[in-house]
Amino acid sequence: MGAQLLTFGAAFLGSAVESVEALTIVLAVGLTRGWRAPLLGTLSALGLLALLVAIFGQLIVTRVPELTLKLIIGTLIVLFGLRWLHKAVLRSAGVIAMHDENRAYAQTVESLRADHEKTDWIGFTLALKGVFLEGLEVVFIVIAVGGTSGGMGVAVAGGLLAMLVVAIAGVIIRRPLAQVPENTLKYAVGIILTSVGTFWAAEGMGVSWPLDFVSIVGLAALYFLASRVAIGLIRRPAFA
Amino acid sequence: MKWLRAAASEVIGLFVGDWVQSGVSVAILAAAWLALPRLHVEGVAYVLAVALAVQLILATAAEARRKKA
Repeated sequence: MGAQLLTFGAAFLGSAVESVEALTIVLAVGLTRGWRAPLLGTLSALGLLALLVAIFGQLIVTRVPELTLKLIIGTLIVLFGLRWLHKAVLRSAGVIAMHDENRAYAQTVESLRADHEKTDWIGFTLALKGVFLEGLEVVFIVIAVGGTSGGMGVAVAGGLLAMLVVAIAGVIIRRPLAQVPENTLKYAVGIILTSVGTFWAAEGMGVSWPLDFVSIVGLAALYFLASRVAIGLIRRPAFA
Repeated sequence: MKWLRAAASEVIGLFVGDWVQSGVSVAILAAAWLALPRLHVEGVAYVLAVALAVQLILATAAEARRKKA
């Protein structure tokens, strides 16, 4: 039950963050150039992403031996999670700018206005590319956490529910979801993924954890502590 | 060809932000893969986690120092 909840939570939070970013692009295109082309682009991207989940999800679950799967996917999740955590630390320490949906929205609208005389092919391509690229991370998170924990259905449900919630919110407010604490969410998901990745990678090496799945809580505490140490270190006035 | 290269770089970009940091992470995991199963000590897996956590601190501090310079 705990493992399934963690799988669902990781898939839901990771997908929500990426869906917010994809929504910003689709809204910018739709409100600037009309909805037909960006909606077609979005649907095409979602179709491609679903195909990727179906193909790779099935291949991974049925063809790869369990320990090898845990080692490979665990390693990839560690790399993926550390990348998010690394960026979150630098953002929290004020070294790089926080991700701002309002600014991303304004930049996309500005670039679309400059190209207004061109055909609607641009609207389609922008939405397709935006949703597909943001969705690639969702696909990886869903396949990784679902494939290794044996809860692919739960992971897919978490990912789909997040996309649905964000899409409904977007339809209702028709503005970028700038109030969503995206940077904090990415920080949290970075910690969860790095912890889950470390857990699976070590199991794939043939090493067992003292409290089995509960160890992930300890790992999350360790990575959170490390990130706070890093932020504290970087923020020190003497640091240069 | 250009499209394929762009797609490949997007996929690699999912896992690699900084090549040095990713290289060090992979080296830590590889060393753990070689060493940990031979050490039959309860809780030895945490050595891997501590090594990755220390690596995170050092890599972010190094990048912050580069950006501030």
